[in-house]
Amino acid sequence: MHRFLSFLLLFLFSLYASGVASAADYHEQLVLQPLPLSALLASFNFRSNTSLSAFEAHNYRFFPRSLGQILQHAGTRELHLRFSLGHWDAESWGARPWNGTREGGTGVELWAWLEAEEEDEANHRWSTLTNALSGLFCASLNFIDGTRTTRPVMSFRPEGTLPNTNSSSNTQLLYGVLPREVVCTENLTPFLKLLPSKGKAGIASLLDGHKLFDASWQSMAIDVRPICPPGGECVLEIEQTIDMVLDIERSKRPRGNPIPRPVPSHELKCDMTKPYQSDDTCYPADYTASQDWTLSQVFGRLMKGACPLSDPSVPPVCLRVPHSRDVYVSVGVREMKNADGLSRCFEVPSDAEVDIVLPQIGQAGVTGHTANGAILTPDTPPLYAERSFTGYGQERGGVQTILTNPSPDKEVEFVYMESLPWFMRIYLHTLQARLDGQNGADNSLIQEVYYRPAVDRARGTQLELRMRIPPASTVFLTYDFEKSILRYTEYPPDANRGFDVAAAVITILRVGQEAVSTSSLRTTTLLLSLPTPDFSMPYNVIIFTSTAIALAFGGLFNILVRRFVAADEGPEVSIKTLKTRIAARLSDLVKKFKQAKIDRKE
Amino acid sequence: MPRLLSGAHRLRNSPLLLKLPPYLSFLCIIVGVVWLFLLPLDEYSRRTYISENALLPGQVHTYFGGSDQNVFRAFKHEINALADTDANSTVVNDKVAEILEDIGLKTARQRYRYAGQGVQGENIYSVLAAPRGDATEAIVLVASWRNGKGEINRKGVTLLLTLARYFRRWSLWSKDIIFLVTPDSAAGPQAWVDAYHDSHTAGVESLPVKSGALQGALVIDYVKEDRFKSIHIAYDGVNGALPNLDLVNSVVSIAGGQMGMGVGLQEMWTHRDTYRDRLETMLRGMLKQGLGTASGAHSAFIPYHVDAVTLSPYGDGWQDEMAMGRVIEGTFRSLNNLLEKLHQSFFFYLLMSTERFVSIGTYLPSAMLVAVNFTFTSIALWIKSGMPEAEVGKGLEGKRMDKARLGQVERDLFLPLGVVVVVQALGVVPLGLFNATPQQLLAPVFAIFTILNLILPYVLSELLRTYKPTTQQYQLILSFSLLLLGMFLSTLATLNFSLSMMVGLLASPLSFVRPGSRFWAIPLALVSPPVVLGVATAVLKHGSFAAISDVLREAAFGWNVMGMYTPVIVWCVWWPAWVVGSLVVLGRPSTGKAKTA
Repeated sequence: MHRFLSFLLLFLFSLYASGVASAADYHEQLVLQPLPLSALLASFNFRSNTSLSAFEAHNYRFFPRSLGQILQHAGTRELHLRFSLGHWDAESWGARPWNGTREGGTGVELWAWLEAEEEDEANHRWSTLTNALSGLFCASLNFIDGTRTTRPVMSFRPEGTLPNTNSSSNTQLLYGVLPREVVCTENLTPFLKLLPSKGKAGIASLLDGHKLFDASWQSMAIDVRPICPPGGECVLEIEQTIDMVLDIERSKRPRGNPIPRPVPSHELKCDMTKPYQSDDTCYPADYTASQDWTLSQVFGRLMKGACPLSDPSVPPVCLRVPHSRDVYVSVGVREMKNADGLSRCFEVPSDAEVDIVLPQIGQAGVTGHTANGAILTPDTPPLYAERSFTGYGQERGGVQTILTNPSPDKEVEFVYMESLPWFMRIYLHTLQARLDGQNGADNSLIQEVYYRPAVDRARGTQLELRMRIPPASTVFLTYDFEKSILRYTEYPPDANRGFDVAAAVITILRVGQEAVSTSSLRTTTLLLSLPTPDFSMPYNVIIFTSTAIALAFGGLFNILVRRFVAADEGPEVSIKTLKTRIAARLSDLVKKFKQAKIDRKE
Repeated sequence: MPRLLSGAHRLRNSPLLLKLPPYLSFLCIIVGVVWLFLLPLDEYSRRTYISENALLPGQVHTYFGGSDQNVFRAFKHEINALADTDANSTVVNDKVAEILEDIGLKTARQRYRYAGQGVQGENIYSVLAAPRGDATEAIVLVASWRNGKGEINRKGVTLLLTLARYFRRWSLWSKDIIFLVTPDSAAGPQAWVDAYHDSHTAGVESLPVKSGALQGALVIDYVKEDRFKSIHIAYDGVNGALPNLDLVNSVVSIAGGQMGMGVGLQEMWTHRDTYRDRLETMLRGMLKQGLGTASGAHSAFIPYHVDAVTLSPYGDGWQDEMAMGRVIEGTFRSLNNLLEKLHQSFFFYLLMSTERFVSIGTYLPSAMLVAVNFTFTSIALWIKSGMPEAEVGKGLEGKRMDKARLGQVERDLFLPLGVVVVVQALGVVPLGLFNATPQQLLAPVFAIFTILNLILPYVLSELLRTYKPTTQQYQLILSFSLLLLGMFLSTLATLNFSLSMMVGLLASPLSFVRPGSRFWAIPLALVSPPVVLGVATAVLKHGSFAAISDVLREAAFGWNVMGMYTPVIVWCVWWPAWVVGSLVVLGRPSTGKAKTA
């Protein structure tokens, strides 16, 4: 009976699935791209739609109900949530996936357009939203309070079409960031639960916490936006993205033996051309930027077929390597080479376990560099940004951002946004941009400044700069700041670690079209050390004051309750009087004892 | 209360009190010195302990070894080839860059030039990004191509490269690791650290690549070719600043406890933990701290609050380079564990063996006592200067003094203050002279200065006589000078205990000189700063007086490059006090009458 029921359920389910799939409401895709230096970029993308009318009628199909209810309750029009970890090495890996629009700075980032007439209402809804999301994603999003919230003016533009665009005054943009939040498995599980496949089928079955969080860089993103195609019905689109850069050598290590012990010497790959090469001497040639891997090696498991719910017209797995390379796949998988000659996609049956093997081509050079043609050269990013602290000491510091425009002929225009904590008081007059090779500040680099100063303990500094950098040049953007002293209770338990300063957000604008953002990038976060008190000091203070009070109180009490008489007025104290007193006491005792004896006899 | 006040008043007028100060000063000095000699005893020193629980030194298994040794040997061949041909800095860096890039690390270079010192070179470094980190914190592994003695650090650089390859395989690093190879052990690290904190001078290039806040640094100084027995830890920074004691303790615990090798401090190649050995270790440490010079590549890091030590193997034993590598691996694993900056343990301490130390609370009183003796004398001289001259001459036969005889004398402050200010200001002359003179002229300039310096008090006292100073004015000159000295030294004691103690003891005769007591002139000349400098150099450098040129060059280098302030203390604190003391001793007070108030 049980079996029959489950069979029936399965049957109904597949009917239903085929019905929706044709409406193209859900699709998923994994794009794999080998990167230089033995890295592999894996981009997972899951997208589903629901019509706005169905959403408002609480009728959820692929749209996750848990998230939908939160959005409705908090009056959220558009939502962007990012969990990121690690550092994108732009020099080696080139341009970011999705042009950087699907990533955040280290930690958690959240920005949303909320329906609200006034600022207070928006703040209230924002707090509702962050608290609800905090519960849903097991992240400390509820710590995004007034001091960590900003209202960006130039940096973010809505991605979707907000319903009444003419009265955009009733939607407000709020942005919050938690740089210290450590992203881990407990955030991945709720993320997977939002998917229709719940991580059990399709490409989502490859997502394993161990491998994801061992990646050199990873970013999980959730984007919810309303889209109104011209003449069509408005739909609400949810897009979930996971991008990760795996270190191939590291992820190929078996799970049972993760310690990178030295290999036995006979397995060591040596450079045979060296004259001193012998049994016990070996110039290593094993670092060959190895680009051979199998799907099951790098993700630690096989892919469990295509997701039956997904749109069959979208191939679930794509691989971006030159067509000259051979790729081996499991039985049943169909390879389709794209016309551009640089990528190929795979159609995967829904009921088979799938593996993809990318073998090593040729013999890698002894110098350890990747053989030519093995991988695609990554695109050059439109801008390089590197931010660091300058100066030392507990009182003042400076921030220096080095922005490089690599393009030989095009200038780049962008908005640089910093949201700094209030205890980092910046001196705006020291803000200057200087072209590399020039001495003085160049005022033409900064086109527009939006600055909202911090209020102690209430809100942080918000600084947005619209800048333009000429082709093939480097700009040093610097400013100084003062470190403030916190109150004793405001220090976190690990005060001597320092305070994290959120990544700067750089939104690159198309030249001449300010309103449209094309790509974005984040700098690294910074660790700001503030002057910290000796935390045993309050203890010392308590001890000292207690002693002082005890002494003062003792003296005062003595004076108040004692009666002072002159020495000659008081009873004479001498050995003699002491003797008589003791004798009197003793005789008293003896009397009492005798009395007691008599009493007992009676 | 009135009785108490009258008692105090009586005490103030007591003639005994005026005789007390020289004895009190002497007592302070004696107690201060005896205090120092008590410190090595078990009752006064403490056992070291790890204060920061996150460090967990020696708790991890270290895996460096096996086939890594084959790689080490190969790298050693490469380094030997460079060392044998005596390649210059650029060639060395090209090779190091090639090896690091083969390992899969990107390299960056930095040129530096200190024109005044005639030093230049090129640093090379490479950042191993923490696999899951965001470049917020970093630890540094340094090997200089030539160590402080000028020997080529063959095994040190090789070990750094082998460890770079080994560390790259691990995914557990929570902080970036920076591998830095510098041409020398003083200017190179200094240029790099300065540039890392953007406080570099004109001749030093900015760093092209940076990571986050530096949390610690380890320097390998490994020139010993055959197997070794123990590891020597050098920990003194510039100006006597020290790294956190937890770092030293961690290395001691890993090398001594986990790896079972000996650990030595302060070039005490044998240490039997006796009173004598402890005292010697402590005094050597104090000497280094007092001189304030760099004792290795790690010294440059310490002023920036980056805790750093230099490890160098010594002795004949059976430990090989892999054991050394495992010590470094263990220490890096400990530093990697740190959640907060090293802040728990002590920054002010004197180590007397690897397992015993005294902290600032215990040792500070001794330097403070020495410093305070000058203040006592100064106050005594001030009081004395306010007494009618005849009284002082008669020797104050107290009991029957009436009010009129106890009358205060008006003090003439203008001349004494002027003299002290002028002599203090003169201190800039030798400071500038020795720091700006070209190196080859340093020795002759020093000889001329020493002679002039001995004549100077006579000249000054003759000059001063034109103003006909009275005894009172001589007393006031000495009083102000000693007041300044006491103030400077007690402040300095909290920053650089050893320097304050050394200057205090060498200047201690100044507490006992009195105007006109000319027999003091010769002993004072013997403890004049240039004479002490010359004699100390001759003794420490085994009788070669010519070494003075090296010492002065090092001091000038320290002042100009590393921000060492010892020359300021010598020429602007000690020297003026000495000049004033000698001047007063040689003075012949005129018998002009002091005005009675």
